[in-house]
Amino acid sequence: MERLLKDALVTRLMRELRQRGSWCGETHIQKANYFLQELFEVPLDFRYTLYWYGPFSFDLRDELTAMRADGLIQIEPVDPRFGPRLKPTDKAEKVQELFPRSMAKYGPLLEFVANKVDTKNVAELERFATGLFVTRKLGQEASVESRKDKLMRVKPHVKDKSAIGAIQDVDSIIREAQALMLEQAQAQKPKSAPFP
Amino acid sequence: MTKHNHEFRDPVHVFVRLDTDERRVVDSRSFQRLRDIHQLAMTYLVYPGATHRRFEHSLGVMELATRVYNVVTDPRNLKDYNNTFSEIVSDRKRLDWLSVLRMAALLHDIGHLPFSHAAEKELLPEGWTHETLTKELILSTPIRQELEKMDLQAEKVVKIALGPEAATDFEFSPWETILAEIIVGDAFGVDRMDYLLRDSLHTGVAYGRFDHYRLIDTMRILKVPPPSPGSGEEDKSGDFSETSIPEPSFALGVEEGGLQSSEAMMLARYFMFSQMYFHPIRRIYDIHLKDFLAEMLDGGRFSTDTEKHLSITDAEILAKLHEAARDVRSKGHLHAKRIIDREHFKMLYERNPDDQKANTEAGKAVYEALCDKFGADKFRHDSYRQKGGPPNYPVQMRDDSIVSSLAISEVLKHLPLVSVDYIFADREVFPAAEAWLKKNRKDIIKPILKEAENGKAT
Repeated sequence: MERLLKDALVTRLMRELRQRGSWCGETHIQKANYFLQELFEVPLDFRYTLYWYGPFSFDLRDELTAMRADGLIQIEPVDPRFGPRLKPTDKAEKVQELFPRSMAKYGPLLEFVANKVDTKNVAELERFATGLFVTRKLGQEASVESRKDKLMRVKPHVKDKSAIGAIQDVDSIIREAQALMLEQAQAQKPKSAPFP
Repeated sequence: MTKHNHEFRDPVHVFVRLDTDERRVVDSRSFQRLRDIHQLAMTYLVYPGATHRRFEHSLGVMELATRVYNVVTDPRNLKDYNNTFSEIVSDRKRLDWLSVLRMAALLHDIGHLPFSHAAEKELLPEGWTHETLTKELILSTPIRQELEKMDLQAEKVVKIALGPEAATDFEFSPWETILAEIIVGDAFGVDRMDYLLRDSLHTGVAYGRFDHYRLIDTMRILKVPPPSPGSGEEDKSGDFSETSIPEPSFALGVEEGGLQSSEAMMLARYFMFSQMYFHPIRRIYDIHLKDFLAEMLDGGRFSTDTEKHLSITDAEILAKLHEAARDVRSKGHLHAKRIIDREHFKMLYERNPDDQKANTEAGKAVYEALCDKFGADKFRHDSYRQKGGPPNYPVQMRDDSIVSSLAISEVLKHLPLVSVDYIFADREVFPAAEAWLKKNRKDIIKPILKEAENGKAT
């Protein structure tokens, strides 16, 4: 995917998050993009590895800094006790306007992800994103129990009950995401022509 | 009498000391090769003093890593975290990890190609970087055997040398993440500290200096402030239930008294990048070198075979470069001549705020228009935007609270970012291209709709 389109999608996702009251710090943006990429196979091409609070992409971290250099996003340090928030600028809106088709195509997916992330706290995001990471590694056909065990191995502070809950949430959201993709594919299918 | 402690004199750190086991690693072929790899590629063509090599930089990184480690693992500085890391609960364990760290620091650059970063991305096969080569070399038999003599595991050394960003096939414990941060960390990595100080000294660009003594003295391992409210600091129900607490994260930070020296380091970085590392003439020499290597090397790429890697340094490339510059039949003759005879392309366009305001990709638009008009072989485009995260690290205040650096530092809040967009032109077309660009620039940089509302992308 070309860089400018990627920037348009990331900044639009940030806008959706902020509209829903999300803190929209780097952790929220990292996880939201991970969901977008993994649940809907949006080709953002960010490589993720397990790091702070679950899946983390150093590529995306670099891209966020590059977007700041280009004036597409700004840092908003609001409270010394917490990490900074990030805000898309008016210039980011202009970049989004260059891609009307992609914005229309990916818009419902961005909204879906934003609805799932919105006001979740970091602990919830960490469990859920790591649950998805583990599911991607072991396959969705792997049992809830085995995926829960793996999640607890990589995040030992997560307790049994929360880990099972996270894996179950992952399965349920994957199903919802698949249904949304099917709906989109059907809507895009050309109407069959009547017999001549 | 056999000597067990050795020292190198160093222009930055005065002495770098090491023991006999470590000296054997320094004497290894992989490490000695760094004597022939320039730290700053062909920067010496612009800043004549920049002839220093990766060899002394690597020694410097080992020295600084040791100083940082000794400060941050001092029980008086760990305070509440004395029992947090089982890895350093005894003096013996603390010293064992110091050995791992010192070897990781020493070996972190052994995978560098000739002329360092100048041509890495384009001249290695997909998926390979100098870090991948570093990993291969540390895991190779000669280095592994030296490490085993010191009771060190090569895999651990790789992890700490490269960090989680480059060593993606390894899992890191929180302690290993901190050790890697000491070397390659985005905020206070000693790799960066050493290159800023050393490059500044050798190039004569004074902006790279900062008070690293004060900075290191105030460095601490600190709990990272939570990314947002509701992350364990508080809970909707008012208690600290397990469901609201994410994994505790630790990172290198500073005491409040070290804030100014940390700001000075961030500013030093900004000035060194904008003034020296991204000096346009330095950059175009890198590009000509890359063009030369792409033509000269078999298959246009460096080999990833460790034996072949060890056999090629700046010395071999320089010999080829001089030979090619004098022989019109040699591969890469034109590019070699541009370097040796100082006939480099001239800068025709650079990123500026007005054009940026109109079009985020103004440089790309100008480059494509020039290529269309005059031919692609007459121009080179060099574009870079700063990488890494924001300067956000924990700061321990005098009342022991820990806050985000960005929230309390006006300097860090307004720290500029480095981004460049240069277009260089062959001297042959430079006057015509310059005149044409002056006349057409406004039209060229107009942003264009990338996609039609309905239908294909434009």
